[in-house]
Amino acid sequence: MSTNTSLTDLMGIEHNKLNFFQELQKNIEELTTINLQSEDQRREIAAILDGVTDVMMVLSEKLEIISVNHVFEELFPGVNPIGKTCYSLFRNVERACPECPAFRALSTNSVCKETAIFRIDGRNLQFDMVASPLKNPDLTENRILIFKRDVTLEKEYQAKFYQAEKMATIGVLAAGVAHEINNPMAAVAGFAEGIQRRLARLDESVPEDLADDLHDYTDTILKECLRCQEIVKTLLSFSRPIAADFLPVDINQVAKDTLRLLDHQLKKNNSIKLTTELITPIQHVHGDEAQLKQVILNLMTNAVDAVGDSGEIKVQTFIEGDNVGLRVFDSGCGIPPENIDLLFEPFFTTKSVGHGIGIGLSTCYNIVSDHNGEIVVDSNPGKGSCFTVLLPIK
Amino acid sequence: MQITKFAIPEVIFGNGSIKFLASCALRLGAKRVFLVSDKGLESCGWVKQVIDLLKDAKLECIYFNDLTANPRDTQVHRGAELYLEHNADVIIGLGGGSPIDAAKGIATIVSNGGKVSDYEGANRISHPLPPMIFIPTTAGSGSDVSQYAIISDKEREVKMAIISRSLVPNISIIDPDLLVTKSRKLILASGVDALAHAIESYISRLASPFTEPQALNAIKLIAENLEAAANRKDPEALTQLAIASTAAGMSFSNAGLGVGHALAHALGGRYDVMHGMALPILLPSVMRFNIPSCKGKIATIARTINGASLCSIDEQAEQVCDTLQKMFEDLGIPMRLRDLVPNETDLEEICKVAINDACAVPNPREANWQDLLGICKEAW
Repeated sequence: MSTNTSLTDLMGIEHNKLNFFQELQKNIEELTTINLQSEDQRREIAAILDGVTDVMMVLSEKLEIISVNHVFEELFPGVNPIGKTCYSLFRNVERACPECPAFRALSTNSVCKETAIFRIDGRNLQFDMVASPLKNPDLTENRILIFKRDVTLEKEYQAKFYQAEKMATIGVLAAGVAHEINNPMAAVAGFAEGIQRRLARLDESVPEDLADDLHDYTDTILKECLRCQEIVKTLLSFSRPIAADFLPVDINQVAKDTLRLLDHQLKKNNSIKLTTELITPIQHVHGDEAQLKQVILNLMTNAVDAVGDSGEIKVQTFIEGDNVGLRVFDSGCGIPPENIDLLFEPFFTTKSVGHGIGIGLSTCYNIVSDHNGEIVVDSNPGKGSCFTVLLPIK
Repeated sequence: MQITKFAIPEVIFGNGSIKFLASCALRLGAKRVFLVSDKGLESCGWVKQVIDLLKDAKLECIYFNDLTANPRDTQVHRGAELYLEHNADVIIGLGGGSPIDAAKGIATIVSNGGKVSDYEGANRISHPLPPMIFIPTTAGSGSDVSQYAIISDKEREVKMAIISRSLVPNISIIDPDLLVTKSRKLILASGVDALAHAIESYISRLASPFTEPQALNAIKLIAENLEAAANRKDPEALTQLAIASTAAGMSFSNAGLGVGHALAHALGGRYDVMHGMALPILLPSVMRFNIPSCKGKIATIARTINGASLCSIDEQAEQVCDTLQKMFEDLGIPMRLRDLVPNETDLEEICKVAINDACAVPNPREANWQDLLGICKEAW
């Protein structure tokens, strides 16, 4: 109170007219501290975001890109995506993809997932997409956060794994079937031979034409038994584990064995005419018989699918320079030119859902590549296609 | 020599200088000005002129006039509410001591919060005040340059002295043209107040080489011009009074006052008497009481008023008290304390309040309440 006021107080040498400079200084100090804190937070968040290995994009309601992370830049090097639409970059189309999860995410206000295949830089890449709505009362417009994870490799491995597993199952089945069939066949063949041996003793006591018939029948029984055993053997070899050693292989034999497996399917449909032109003699190639059988099987399956109800399929082997070649012609629907480049990409398929996942030709391509060979396609839409496999002679 | 301090605001002085008001406000960052004045100045037309000046500069103006002479804490609090409600940014005080002190109180409350009584005494303001521009319309209070604000606490019946360097405004615009509309009584009261500021601060224990010439200059100018200004409203005399008042303000703001102002505040708090009417009654007795402590200085005051003298220092000092008494009487100012205070028995209580007034601190002669009672009795 004023009772305590002293002369020094009245002089107030240590008291200034307070001005806002001090307050400003204090505010600036506080702001600097807060700024440092938020900068630290920003860096931490940036470090976390940099650790994300998925493509991350923030999109406007019109799917215009507002921001992207560094993974995007790796996927589209040298592209400034800001302001461009998602679909123009990923699909090179004019309007949004109907299956886009962004719209669903916004309308349902929930996280939505979708899988899609985009062709980027000449490769088909499969992405798992997760879209989350970013609804913020401070923003005039809603936004969408989209993660795109490249799952191409995983899907390829998965497909290969299924294929391998399928083959392994066939292998087990075939081994069982072989055992169950070979034994009765051995008995049938043994008894047929027994009949033949005894027929010599009967030759004098039965009429000649009857003896000829019996010879003929038992020969047929034996021949068919052998054929059964051959089929079983083929089945076994076909289903052998994939990672087999490369051995000398007769491509004619491989073709014959594979076609035998398809006999039934082709015979069922009489209107498909199959011709084979196998050149002899033919050099051996170095390879894995089972894998090469799979190549021919895939090519044949495609050919059968392509010709549909009626048409022609021709299988040809030939020698061209240092290569042994195998050609599969079909008089089917052909391949549109725009699809030619995509044929050997994994997951590319024109078949409807449930009839193929687009792995067949890509598997062929991989197998032929492993054999240092090449596979080429020539097609006339509406008239047919021709797949040629060239394998080096060793 | 003791270490001293001298602080004054930017002063713009001269006839017609009020025209710089808007540009001053703009330079201080004004968008919405809070103008404090009173009804007396409205009737003279000065308030309208100020508002027009601000309007021409596209400044919004919030006007506050709910004030009495000897402004009250409750009025200050209302003003502060209005200021905050309108989000004003610069305070302009237009008037005598009352509106300017009220403006200081409002500035204090809007930035520091609380009540006026929280800041009673010296150096209690801890946050910067909004920018302030003061335009005095009386030549007396010196509030437009000082670090003092006097606000009445009606409940305790005292005048609170708030002393802080933050109460020194940013700019004081002193335009002597504004003085011509004042009544004779108001010119006299203000002039005597300024004279008391000059005399008390000159003999104050805090007087410094920077305040003393200002005080003596003020004493000389008031002695020479008060009569002409009051009786004839001579414009030149009024201008000299305005200079004197400002000089006295510079002096007392830095050197402090004495028991005369302490007693005047106590009387004003109790009876709401006009500050300028209590001072002439008390001043001769106060000076006489102080002679033993500052004979030489009082003699200097005597020579400043009366010119060179062959008398001894003692005689000169003694004479000046009579000179002042006669000067005030000649101007027709009531010179007996009984004219203001209804009851002599109240004096004791008044003196006990006055002795606690911060203004009493730098008085040259130590005084207790009995000494003050002696001064009052002498003036009764």
